[in-house]
Amino acid sequence: MSWITLDKINELKEKFEFIQINENEKGFHSVELPKENLKQFLRFLKDDPDYSFKMFIDWTIIDHGAKAEPRFQGVLILFSPEYKERIIIKTWATDETLPTLTDIWPGAKWAEREAWDMFGIKFDGHKNLVRMFLWETYPYHPLRKDFPLKGHQEVELPSLNEKERMDQLEGLQNYSRMHTALPTLEDLEITQKKRMPNKKSQVVLNWGPLHPGTHGTIWFLFDMESEYVQDCDIIIGQLHRGVEKIAENLNVQQILPYTDRMDYIASMNENHSVCVAAEKLLGIHEKIPPKAKYIRTMLAELSRINSHLLWLGTYALDLGALTMFLYTFREREKIMDIFEGITGARFTINYFRVGGVYADLPYGALDAIEHFIKDFPTRLSDYENLLTRNRIWLKRNVDVGVITEQDVYDYGLTGAVARAAGVPYDLRIIDKYDAYSEVEFDVPVGEKGDSYDRYLVRIEEMKQSSRIVQQCIDKLRKMSKNDPFFFEPEDKKMKITIDGRGTKLFKGEVYAGADNPRGELGVYIYMPKDGIKPYRFRLRSGAFYNLQIFPKLMIGRPIADAITILSTIDPVVGETDR
Amino acid sequence: MGIKKVGLNRNIQPQSLTEKIFFLDFMKGLRTTIKHLFKKVITVDFPFELVEPAPRFRGIHGLRNVDGTEKDDFQAWVKKLKIKPPEMGETRCIACKFCQAACPVPEIFVIKADKLDVPEDHPHHGLKVMTQFDMDLSKCMFCGLCTLACPTICIIHTDVYDLSAYTRRGCVLDKETLSKIADDFVARRGKEKYDEKSQWPDWQKIWDDADKARAKAWDNNPPKLGPNYADQQ
Repeated sequence: MSWITLDKINELKEKFEFIQINENEKGFHSVELPKENLKQFLRFLKDDPDYSFKMFIDWTIIDHGAKAEPRFQGVLILFSPEYKERIIIKTWATDETLPTLTDIWPGAKWAEREAWDMFGIKFDGHKNLVRMFLWETYPYHPLRKDFPLKGHQEVELPSLNEKERMDQLEGLQNYSRMHTALPTLEDLEITQKKRMPNKKSQVVLNWGPLHPGTHGTIWFLFDMESEYVQDCDIIIGQLHRGVEKIAENLNVQQILPYTDRMDYIASMNENHSVCVAAEKLLGIHEKIPPKAKYIRTMLAELSRINSHLLWLGTYALDLGALTMFLYTFREREKIMDIFEGITGARFTINYFRVGGVYADLPYGALDAIEHFIKDFPTRLSDYENLLTRNRIWLKRNVDVGVITEQDVYDYGLTGAVARAAGVPYDLRIIDKYDAYSEVEFDVPVGEKGDSYDRYLVRIEEMKQSSRIVQQCIDKLRKMSKNDPFFFEPEDKKMKITIDGRGTKLFKGEVYAGADNPRGELGVYIYMPKDGIKPYRFRLRSGAFYNLQIFPKLMIGRPIADAITILSTIDPVVGETDR
Repeated sequence: MGIKKVGLNRNIQPQSLTEKIFFLDFMKGLRTTIKHLFKKVITVDFPFELVEPAPRFRGIHGLRNVDGTEKDDFQAWVKKLKIKPPEMGETRCIACKFCQAACPVPEIFVIKADKLDVPEDHPHHGLKVMTQFDMDLSKCMFCGLCTLACPTICIIHTDVYDLSAYTRRGCVLDKETLSKIADDFVARRGKEKYDEKSQWPDWQKIWDDADKARAKAWDNNPPKLGPNYADQQ
């Protein structure tokens, strides 16, 4: 486990008297301190060579309920690239304010805006504390515990009732005329003005929210001087569905289908994150049957190939190479066929369960996967023939959107974006969840951190993924058809079911996740007592934090580079917005 | 496990002068595309040609009827929930509402069971029968949790995937429609999917390998399906 040891925390305690250690028998311990001392302590942690917690991972809030005093607690997760360990720091937000961390890690900017949007916590010193997902005039903070799950229904929308065309449905299946608040055009104008308060030049170009090049519903604002971008901002939230709020009202197996709909291109990996986190909270992750472990590792890597193929196709399409799109979709079709046969769905898969998988592999599954994996390298070399050394491709990618190692630490970048910048940050190696400790693979790392490196890193990742899949197939072939694929608890207090009814989580907290095609999807679960529903279910989205660096990369670049940079960062709006 | 460095000049050489002058990079690309020009068509001509969904495919739900392939504990469940023992052709549903409990969106289901209106000396006195089973599929995520929760394997996923209707009313299926969908599905593909106790057998195939349309999508070179594990037939 990659957590700071108790000895090191005790050394910290000797230096700083105000910190308080919360010991936890599950392997990681959090540090609690008053918010007045927070910044001094964090600067020490960041700069001291014995600790060097340089990398920002997540910064979020727990609401302890309307009656608790103080009510809100800030939770900060940091990572030390040198010692490969994480730390959790907690602080109470008295008077609903916290000091801003944007001057230590610029990546805290969006995290703080999200905390303001969802919990109504003010951050002293934040430069432009506006809402993250919702529009500026929205009056509520939805992740607070006193906000109802169905929202405040206050707008009448009779068209939803289809009164003229249908007979009224009766009972529960009828639709209400009332709807939660919706933004009007005026609201959106106010939002846009607040996001970019100081215009530098004459033209502000709006790109999106509905534009094929944005790969979803992202709304970009470019402040342009001729064709060079002076200032840039992003408005996201058009696809915000409140997955965290929904998840706090469901049991853990029921959350999985919702995570399918976050990063819908790699839904297998999204499920994987939640499973790993919940299993670690229950303390059963090491006891998962080996068959389930290998099946999960194999399918997660196939899903990574699937996701990278979509990325490659659309990225090349955006830069003008239409053929690539057709070729990669041919290969994707085969992977989707395999997923359909094994799991029952092509896209929103919901196959992994906390405790294993929901069914064994069907007859012929391994043969189909092996057939694909044998064929795949020749396909990949076709793609490389078309693109890698093509002069247009080189001109549009080399030295565009350079991300430095410092940026990775400051902004909390993960996944291929971080690895292309030369940081070998990969949860598969750091955490070694599932069967990743038992398979051989290399982590591709770039040199310059430009778009071309990100392209090369992802191509190499596909090769490594097919290597992992082949090893998993070889291991699975040796197993028996009667081996279990789901964990059976011996402990009577524990109850885990495939369909989720009665699945309980234990008291405690956990931060764990999986390395997804779009970066680290971390899941932070906080449980004040044993129960079915997670009290706080935080999804640390890789795509969200990766997208944050986009304005910085765009400043001073021509507008045509927006396509290249956005494609190589590769966000999926379902995951950025959640 | 190691770290592999990639980058221009590291594993990719920049373009040489000859390559630049003679457009060799374009030639290489054209060779790939021309090679594909002589390959067979891989697209399926929908709707004239259909790919048969896999046996595990999660399509529209159905409610299975009693047909002699129930699980061994079926009668025990019927007794436990005080349901009128179903005859052949009647629904397997015992109105236990486990599907609703497992569902992430429980509003989908409206399930009701009423007591039979029979005199006291009748053998079915005091027993219940399922009278209403409505599913609003416009709210459904097709996650499959309800089918896993069902103790009698009554609610199943079929391979029907076109759920289109002109009004919202059309997305609400009642128990007669659901039964008809399931009967139709089991008659067509029940042998592929279920064994004689309605469980998923280990010979359940990933897909039907005789399907010509699916073979097209696999570049006209579909995989030969064989056993997964060493001790599988």
